[in-house]
Formats: sequence, structure tokens, C-alpha cells
Amino acid sequence: MRWLRAWRHILAAKQSRPIEIGAVRFTGHPWRMFRNEAMDEELYIETLDPREDVQGAAKVKRLLYANGLKIEDDIECFVVARSLRQIVACAGLAGCLVKCVAIAPEHRGTSLALRLMNEIQQLALDRGQAHLFLYTKPDRVAFFEGCGFHKVVEVSGHACLMENTPVGIKDYCDSLRALRQPGQRIGSVVLNANPFTLGHLHLVRTALEQCDWLHVFVVSEDASTVCYADRLDLVRAGLDGMDRVTVHGGSEYLVSKATFPSYFIKDTCVVKACSTAIDLLLFRKHIAPALGITHRFVGNEPYCRLTRKYNQDMSEWLEKSGEEGNPIHVVEIPRFEVKGRAVSASDVRRLLAGGDFETVASLVPATTLARMRARYGLRAKPQAGRRLTEIFEVG
Amino acid sequence: MEIKKEAMCGTLESNDLLVKVAPRAGLEIVISSEVLRQFGARIREVVEETLKHMDVSQGQVVIEDKGALDCAIRARVQGAVLRGCECEELDWRIL
Repeated sequence: MRWLRAWRHILAAKQSRPIEIGAVRFTGHPWRMFRNEAMDEELYIETLDPREDVQGAAKVKRLLYANGLKIEDDIECFVVARSLRQIVACAGLAGCLVKCVAIAPEHRGTSLALRLMNEIQQLALDRGQAHLFLYTKPDRVAFFEGCGFHKVVEVSGHACLMENTPVGIKDYCDSLRALRQPGQRIGSVVLNANPFTLGHLHLVRTALEQCDWLHVFVVSEDASTVCYADRLDLVRAGLDGMDRVTVHGGSEYLVSKATFPSYFIKDTCVVKACSTAIDLLLFRKHIAPALGITHRFVGNEPYCRLTRKYNQDMSEWLEKSGEEGNPIHVVEIPRFEVKGRAVSASDVRRLLAGGDFETVASLVPATTLARMRARYGLRAKPQAGRRLTEIFEVG
Repeated sequence: MEIKKEAMCGTLESNDLLVKVAPRAGLEIVISSEVLRQFGARIREVVEETLKHMDVSQGQVVIEDKGALDCAIRARVQGAVLRGCECEELDWRIL
């Protein structure tokens, strides 16, 4: 097989990017050789794009399956360790999440795990993603701690969220602590505000009547129709001039792809329960204490089942004693209604898509209307229509 | 030198260390080590010395040490800083 190895080297050398001499770095190579002394064999660490390399993806799938895991659709890239034609270890990257980490049983207990996890961090860094998260079961926490990950929050017995820095959540909470306000009842509201409606305004006003200070968080994950910068701007404009309110930009620690994944562990029911639990426990254990938050206000949800589930879970994970951190009171506020129908951001998006600014005007504050008009309303008609549909039907 | 982007250098294998740097106002050095009690102060000293020598006064430096020697610490810190500074031409005198 010697000739095969030589051939691989030549191929690999052709594919590799030139080495940057100044910065003395060798990352970005499609392969790296790694001599596993314990096994007395050579392993190749490579990157693998599951969308391009179908054969490779099938091998990864087999390895994952043998280890009780499934390959996930959203993985952009794998780091794999190959011994000749076999894949013996893999780790996947999906945005800021490390997923699908598996090592064949005969390669465990070597330093291969370290190499693999180091390599995936380097790969992510090359793609501009320095801050990584992963989900694992509590009994695997020690393994990932050895690979440079640190525990953020744990749903006891089910799942644990980890990040690849010892100071991530601590730094975030320190930055929040600087914005702490005095008072007995400190409220909080988490908004996606896609876009900011009279319903949101009503929620904030009602919440504010019931507490000394209100912290408003805007979800920063850019999965929504209206982009984060615009949404934050809409909220700030809509709440401008209101006393006793702080508007916070969102973070990776609050309703983000990291804290709220559609992650799949074998038992679907466990995951559905866990996916909201991680986010809510993180809020209770880290964010709320940093700001002294005692209450979380939420609009009741007449339409969307998923949001309703989140609201129900909220009282479970925030209020229940026994979990870490002081309980946070969840206050559900009836939705603001216009003409007998609860105002909903998704309705507003649908109306905007249809270009119906008149009805929209009755559902959103003037600040939102003006901004949405400026952004989407003044374009040439036919194009605007098409673009609006494109834009608004996605979310 | 100014740290312009996030970068890392090193590994978590025994006798090595992993250094991560990131842009940040003010200098923040975070050290975790298996031998923090015995050598924590010395590790900090070496890191500070190396940073000073490279004229780095701002940034976050996170170190996860697995019992590395001083020379390894120095080399890894230098590596991470050079990557983070996107340094094109190397001034060998500072190393």
C-alpha cells in the first residue's frame, strides 16, 4: 500500500493552500498526517464536505450509526480521521455548533480525540467562527472538558451545553452586571420583534407597570425575516423615551442557535423537553442573577403551538424550585387585540408581503411603520411586490 | 502589536498548552492549568513577559495549560499573537 500513501501525499500537496510563512501557520490543509503510536498506524486528518463527498458522507454515517448517533443535515463540514480507507473518527460543524462527534472504540483512549477537537476548532476559526458550542450527555462532559470545552448549563440527567472558552458566559454576565438597576421587582422581556408591533409595545407597557425596572432583550439570531440590526432598531425606536427600560442586544446565550437547537438525540421527547430547558435554565442560572431579574413577562400565545409550548415550559424551568438559581416568576399577559384579533407579528409580515400598509398601520407603532415603509414600501411597484413576497414568506 | 482577530495556537496534549487570543479593550489574561497551584504565578509571568516583548497591550489571552515548559509557553503565546495580528512580515527580534 506504500504507493497509495505516496500518491495521497502528492494529491494532497496539490490541493493544499500555500503555507503562510509570515504567520507560520499550516492550517487549511485538506489533510494532516498523524502517527498513532498506540495503534502503530498512520492516520490522516482531513476535512470532508458531506454535500460534495457522498461516499465519504456514507462512511461517516456508518461510523455514527455504529456509535448510536445519526448524521445531521445541517452539518457544513466534517473533520475526519482516516486510516487508509476507513473513517475511524469524525466531528461535524454546523455554524457555531459541534455535532456528531464519534470515535471508533478501538481508537479511544489515544490522543486522537484531542487532535480531532483541536482540528475542528481550527477549521471553525478559519471559517470565522471562534466561539463554539456543543451538546452532550452529562456522562460525556468529562471527555469534552479534556478537549477544551467548558460547561455552560446542564439539564440534570439529560443534556449539557458546553462552550470552547472558560470565560464565555462569565464575560457576558460581567457585561450585563454593569447594567444592573436597583429595585425590588426587576422584570425581563425577550422579543424577536419580527417586526415590532403594538402587541410588543403593549407587553412592555403592561410589564413596566408591574415592576421597578424592565430589561428588554432582542433575539440576535438572524433567522428572521427582518434582520437583527433592523429589529433592534425597531425596538429601540418603539421604546424611545420610556423610563425605567433597558434594551439589550441579544447574545448567543439567549434564544440562539446555540441555546435553542433542533438538536437530535435518540429520544425525541427528551430533546423537545430539553431544547427549551437549556435556554431557560441558562437564563435562570446566569443571565437573571447578573441583572437581578425577578420576573419574566410573556404574551400569551393564541396561534403558534411552538411558542405556546415555550411559554408552558417557561413556568416549568424558571419557576420550579429545586433547579439551580432563584425562581423567576413568569407572568403571562393577555395579548393586545385590534378589532377582536390578537396582534401577531406573523400577521403583520403577511400583510407587508401583500403590500397592505393600511392594515399594517393599525397593528404597528408609527416608528415601525415609518421604518418598514422606508425599507420596503418606496421601491418601484412590480419589483417591490416580488421582493416583499420573497422576503416575507420565508419567515 | 495589535490583536486584530481571534486566533489560537497549540494543543491540549500533555506538556503542551492551548493559547487563544481575541481583540479586547484592555489586557486580560485568563489561565487555567493542571498545575496552577505550583506554577500558576510562573506561567503568568512568562505570558506577561512574552506579551510585553511583543508589545501587546490590548486583548484577551486565554491559556489552557497541560504542564508545558516555559519555552513552550513562550512559543505558543508568540504563535497565537502572530496569527491574531495577521502579521505579514515577521520581526524576528521580538521573538
